[in-house]
Amino acid sequence: MHPPKRLLLTGGGTAGHVNPALAIGAALRGPATELLFVGVRGRAEEQVVPKEGIPIRFVRASGFPGARPSPALLRFAVNLAVGILQAAFLLLRFRPDVIVGTGGFASAPVLLAAAGLRRIGLLRTKVYVHEQNAVPGKLNRLVGGLADEVFVTFPESLSHFPGNAVVTGYPLRRRIGSVGRDEARKALDFAIPEGRTVVFLFGGSQGARTLNRALVDGLADLLPHRDRLFVIHGTGLARKGGYDPAADVEARLAARYSEEERRLIGGFYVARPYFHDIEKVYAVADLAVTRAGAGSLNEIATVGLPALVVPKANLPGDHQVLNARALERAGGAEVLYEETVLDEGHLAERLDGRLLAEKVLALAGDPAHLAAMAAAARAFLGRDALDAIRRRVAGESDPAEEPPAAAVPPETVPTSAALLSRLEKAHAARKGPWCPSAVVRDRRDLAYFVSRASSLLVAEAWEDRNRGVKLLGLLGAREKVPLLVALLKDRTPAPLIQRFLGGDFVQVGFIRRNVMAALARLGQATPDVEEALLLSVDDPYYEVRAEGARAAAALADGLTRRDEVARGLVRLLGDRNLEVAAAAAEALGKVGGEADAVPALLSLAGYEFWKVRASALKGLLTLVERGAVSDLPALRARLPEFVLVSPDFVPQFEIKAAYRRLAQAVGGRQEGQG
Amino acid sequence: MIYVLGKLLQPLEGFSFLRLVEYLSARSIGAALTAILLTLWLTPRLIWYLQKRAWVDQLRDTGLPTSSDKAGTPVMGGAVIVGVVAFSSLLWCNLENAYVLLVLLGMLWFGAIGFVDDRAKMRARSGDKGMSERRKLVLQGLFAALLVAVLASPYSPLPQDEAARLYVPFVKAHLLDLPWVYFPCVFLFVLLVGNSVNITDGMDGLAIVPSVFVLGVLGVFGYLMGNAIWSRYLFYPFFPGAGELAVFCSAFAGAGIGFLWFNAYPAQIFMGDTGSLSIGGCLAVVSVLLKQEALFVILGGLFVAEAASSQIQDKVGIKWLGRRIFQRAPLHHQMQHNGLAETKVVIRLWIVSGMLALAALATLKLR
Repeated sequence: MHPPKRLLLTGGGTAGHVNPALAIGAALRGPATELLFVGVRGRAEEQVVPKEGIPIRFVRASGFPGARPSPALLRFAVNLAVGILQAAFLLLRFRPDVIVGTGGFASAPVLLAAAGLRRIGLLRTKVYVHEQNAVPGKLNRLVGGLADEVFVTFPESLSHFPGNAVVTGYPLRRRIGSVGRDEARKALDFAIPEGRTVVFLFGGSQGARTLNRALVDGLADLLPHRDRLFVIHGTGLARKGGYDPAADVEARLAARYSEEERRLIGGFYVARPYFHDIEKVYAVADLAVTRAGAGSLNEIATVGLPALVVPKANLPGDHQVLNARALERAGGAEVLYEETVLDEGHLAERLDGRLLAEKVLALAGDPAHLAAMAAAARAFLGRDALDAIRRRVAGESDPAEEPPAAAVPPETVPTSAALLSRLEKAHAARKGPWCPSAVVRDRRDLAYFVSRASSLLVAEAWEDRNRGVKLLGLLGAREKVPLLVALLKDRTPAPLIQRFLGGDFVQVGFIRRNVMAALARLGQATPDVEEALLLSVDDPYYEVRAEGARAAAALADGLTRRDEVARGLVRLLGDRNLEVAAAAAEALGKVGGEADAVPALLSLAGYEFWKVRASALKGLLTLVERGAVSDLPALRARLPEFVLVSPDFVPQFEIKAAYRRLAQAVGGRQEGQG
Repeated sequence: MIYVLGKLLQPLEGFSFLRLVEYLSARSIGAALTAILLTLWLTPRLIWYLQKRAWVDQLRDTGLPTSSDKAGTPVMGGAVIVGVVAFSSLLWCNLENAYVLLVLLGMLWFGAIGFVDDRAKMRARSGDKGMSERRKLVLQGLFAALLVAVLASPYSPLPQDEAARLYVPFVKAHLLDLPWVYFPCVFLFVLLVGNSVNITDGMDGLAIVPSVFVLGVLGVFGYLMGNAIWSRYLFYPFFPGAGELAVFCSAFAGAGIGFLWFNAYPAQIFMGDTGSLSIGGCLAVVSVLLKQEALFVILGGLFVAEAASSQIQDKVGIKWLGRRIFQRAPLHHQMQHNGLAETKVVIRLWIVSGMLALAALATLKLR
């Protein structure tokens, strides 16, 4: 049955799914093959596929928004149901011999419809799925089980498709790497002056806003080197109703640069939304700046193009970061992480334009290094997957043949949740001062984890932002203090129904509490932090006030606005929450002085709850030990005012204590009996 | 068993004293004494056995420092309670009585769920690695559905016209008689009450004493509603055979007091999920069978408050709003957080549950 008479390709949403489908289509088709592409209107495939001369039909579909009940989930379900009906209709009309799906939500309706029609015997089509990433998406995992065979890029994904997966590698378009440099130079619709180092920046088919903006900002630093550089910028295709990269770049250029500057920039910079003949751009480029999708990296590696890679963090399985780090370790790329920064009081994910320009200039100025990177990139790639796929579809698989090596073998990096739990365990078990290197040994890893944690701060779900806050504190990320303080200051109100039940701000109570805990852990009393301390005193959520008092105690030595903080703590002694009053009393011992703290703490001598009285005593003891109390006899005279009656005590099991002492003496683990 | 033997032997010469088995009061006392003595005899042996096998309390990974020193106390004391109550009931109850059979089934069903959960925790050596919450709910839901099915069927021990009636305290007549409202409510009631004891069971002696109070009062209700004269006098519906529940409740009270002997602070044994879930199952089934679901809000007010505070804190506060609503939950932890020693918390909550039990008894006449 080779080549198939009628071949249906589906996959899309982004060009990262469309290009593999087109590559497989080109490899499978014979001279008489009828091709049809099924995708979603308004996405990359609508523009890319017709350029290849392949007819395209559309079905409805949208991405899976998560299992939580929401309007988006309803829309998803409706779209999927309608899409499946549309796809079933298309399938019955076109009657393909072979269907190839390459993932992305666009392929789901077709593959589900095909599975349904095959089940009831209306369709006898072979169905194949290709998975590009090491960690398959949810929909691909579902439809993979319904396919005849799943082609995967990485051996690591085999376990997700038990029984019907084969490692083939990543299907690259045949044209990639087939064009010579001079030929390409002539074929491009813009002229590149001789002797320039050509930098090609692109963020995938949809464009990457951070990359685009960083490049525009960085042009200022590249401008002085315009006679030895040439920048080709693939901005990305506009999405219906979404980010329009080309317009954004245009506007930013106009806002940042004068007309004269823009004229000069025009001499070494050219921008296009999308390159349908990207192989030619690859051929002329000396350095690529890109995201770390499997497609881009595999293409770059094939043509041996050195790369500066900016992975997108917090994607499923962190696959972009894994791809980027793998290529970095092989020597073919350098990795630059996005940073979460403060932008006019708001947190935003950004890549610093100046930093990008510096990196580009450093690499462009070192041809020997670039050559070495190019060689490493070329050596890194496994072989072409198309031949393997063609033979599997034709049924001529050779059992003796070794499966092709994975193009980008992924390593395992702990998820943010796993990392946090490891850090918390180590922190609880620490002896002496805390140092994150107990868990994260590699400095490059630490840099990545800090960057990933700070990008969590702008996440949609508060649980993620909260995790980011805790991680930054435990990772010792002192440079991120301004971000933490900004979260505390963010007073955007929570939705009305949540406020009705006791919620307050979008940055929920736990986040603000953990910000204070992280600030205490980071141990630096910068002016920012002192402002946060003073702010926490008036927070509507009691845990923030209590944690703020504890942070004041932890940072007491470095405080410059000590008196103000002490006044705030004295105010907290009157808090109606006893946890807050107790924390404030203990903190006053560290922060306060004889004039303010001593009378305030003595006034707690008859407090209703013994815990607050005990904390007042502890605070006074700290004051005395610090030598902050000069008139000791006066203090001694007032001590009997303290009410010592308490409804609580600490019980002790003699036998367990004896057991533990013995266990420790013989070096055993600390355990109860048994 | 003794009921059957008594009936059998009574006509014979010299066995006429066996007419005592006709009296619920006599059999109730017998059931209670049997249960107490058996528990006092069995529990030390179980404690020893569990310690040898290291089936002891596992720490939960809460990320907080613990002030008490409870890890290493044997769990699964509930197995004694379940076993003794079942034995004593089999000995003293009329085993043809559907009320008793349903309660025993509920106790054993919930107890089995708790046992599997306890065993999973022991095997994993972690208090966090028991049965998943979802699986527990599914298994409990199966029983709740079964109970509803029986009550809605002709095999129900309750009179047919009472099947879907809901009674509330202080009101003589039933409030509503809508099967489509009542039975789903019963289903939810069984799940909520079935788990409420588990939530309450966090301190030495805290769960067992209020359970004894609640089942004691329910036993009185059973006795009265199963008695034609009393039920007419108090304007309760007459449930023939419901008096047998008084025997069961006495057996339970006996086992509970026997268990308290060892479970009192500082505890030598915990009831574990085996105990707390089976007790929850008993409370739920008896309340439903006697139509005292609404009264449970007063009678089992402690359990309701514990379960409600814990669920509100977790589901509304921590999972959704991102803040604590109570400083600590459930209720007994809040009291401890306020600076009360465990013993004090437990005794105060005993007093509270005792007052609630008295209030519930008062509703007998206040209608």
